[in-house]
Amino acid sequence: MNEMKTKRLLRIAGMIFVIIFCSLPFLWMVIISLCERPDFLLQKSLRLTVQNFVDILSVGNLHFLDNLRNSMVISSTAALASTMIGALAAYAISRMPFRGKTSIVLTVLALSMFPQICIVGYLFKIMTRFELINTYSALILPYIAWSLPLALWIQMSYFSRIPIELDKAAQVDGASRIQTLFRVILPIAVPGFLSTILLLFMFSFNEFLFALMLTTDHHARTVPVGISMFQGLHGELPWGYIMAASVVSCIPVILVALIFQKRIIQGLTQGAVKQ
Amino acid sequence: MNRKIKEPVSFLLPLIFFIAAFLLFPVLGTFWNSLWHDVPFMARRFVAFDNYVGLIKDGQFWQTSFFTIVFACVSVSLEMAFGMITALVLNEKSRLRGALRGIALIPWAIPSVIGARIWQLIFRYDYGVANITLKAIGIGPVNWLGTSVGAFAALVLADVWRTTPFVAIILLAGLQTVPDDILKQAQIDGANIFQRFYRITLPMMKPIIMVAILFRTIDAMRVFDLIYVITGGGPGGTTASLSVYGYKFFLTGDFGYGSAVSVILFIIALTMAVVYIKLGKLRSQ
Repeated sequence: MNEMKTKRLLRIAGMIFVIIFCSLPFLWMVIISLCERPDFLLQKSLRLTVQNFVDILSVGNLHFLDNLRNSMVISSTAALASTMIGALAAYAISRMPFRGKTSIVLTVLALSMFPQICIVGYLFKIMTRFELINTYSALILPYIAWSLPLALWIQMSYFSRIPIELDKAAQVDGASRIQTLFRVILPIAVPGFLSTILLLFMFSFNEFLFALMLTTDHHARTVPVGISMFQGLHGELPWGYIMAASVVSCIPVILVALIFQKRIIQGLTQGAVKQ
Repeated sequence: MNRKIKEPVSFLLPLIFFIAAFLLFPVLGTFWNSLWHDVPFMARRFVAFDNYVGLIKDGQFWQTSFFTIVFACVSVSLEMAFGMITALVLNEKSRLRGALRGIALIPWAIPSVIGARIWQLIFRYDYGVANITLKAIGIGPVNWLGTSVGAFAALVLADVWRTTPFVAIILLAGLQTVPDDILKQAQIDGANIFQRFYRITLPMMKPIIMVAILFRTIDAMRVFDLIYVITGGGPGGTTASLSVYGYKFFLTGDFGYGSAVSVILFIIALTMAVVYIKLGKLRSQ
């Protein structure tokens, strides 16, 4: 019985730790976004307001809505494209016999560990050369490449669990490989396909260094760069705006994370843990 | 070309194109750039390995490398400990499990820049919560972001907060591979909860722990977002990671020198990636 008690105690302590550690800083962000002054603890007067939200959503020269629109368009395009390209490759690797398969997979895996800094410098030169700096393409193209290892890895593990007999049957019925993929495999793999898109969306939505280097103003600047660049008068950071903008930009990713929590965990573990 | 080779190639072609054009080619380009002296408003000049010779003599570079390694070691160790605790909690069957997993995902799911901003505010000298809390329990205010030790601690904490969920999720997958009946049998044989963890769970999870450590170390070595936002590398360049150091040269100054810094980081990451893949291969055999 003592054992049961210890276990219960540990469990409750652990749960409290996880809840406090993970959510407290996040809640602090929400509180500050709703406060008139970020130093209310020192002033000992708490006045709540939604002015920060009204301002970032309506004052044009803060450009928050521009940043949000850029982020949404860039991330969803990159996620869709990367998932499709990844699906094609994952299908070939899990279904077709050819040599050098393992080396392709391992090379792609190694690529995902490259430090971004050793890509972004030259990327800057390429994008300058093609006059793409500060356009959506300047970010969408590298984001597709940058998220492909994850796209390939997750979908490979999904595809490998679909019985190969389905392919054989489709081919006996005269379907080509590409028809088999789109008419037979993808409909079965819809949950996997969907969670891959969502994961990759978050991946691109959160990316910072490429966006910092390859954009110059609100025409292509994404949310993370916008939030890192908020400047106030006299060098004082406008914390209310920063936190309000953060709350709004967290909404899409947190919705995704909470609703698809199970699938994301599945996707991540399949991506990170070799089966 | 016969159909047998043509078919897989056509399926892989888009992937190969994007990866070659936007990952591999830029990396090679960075190597090439690192052999040039390339400052704004002047003609590029080929200098062969001069930039690397310069790095060897550059005290700031050595300090930055040292910081990057210490930062990676300290934060990854803490992340492993916290990640294990979180994974154990998330693995428990309870009505709260779904909600707990959702909450645990938050720090990882939100953009790293936002996480960095939150911690930057928490560690503010004058009205940050960290100092207000310390004052309330009678410890004088700590100059978190203005001293190199304080800034280091703040950065580590911010990084641990952000990546613990990721570590927890990987370890969770490992925890689920530990068979229940072995744990039950050990309990019947009289092993207590701690003994069961140290003697059974931990050894069985060793491979996945190794994977998580390597994965996270590679990731921590390239840290950029957090440092760029919270300290900008300061005070006095004492918290600049290799990525931040390289970026500063891209921004203003010698593009070639910044490329050389990047190449060094690349070589470190590649070496570790090779170790990681070798481990993976060993396990799948």
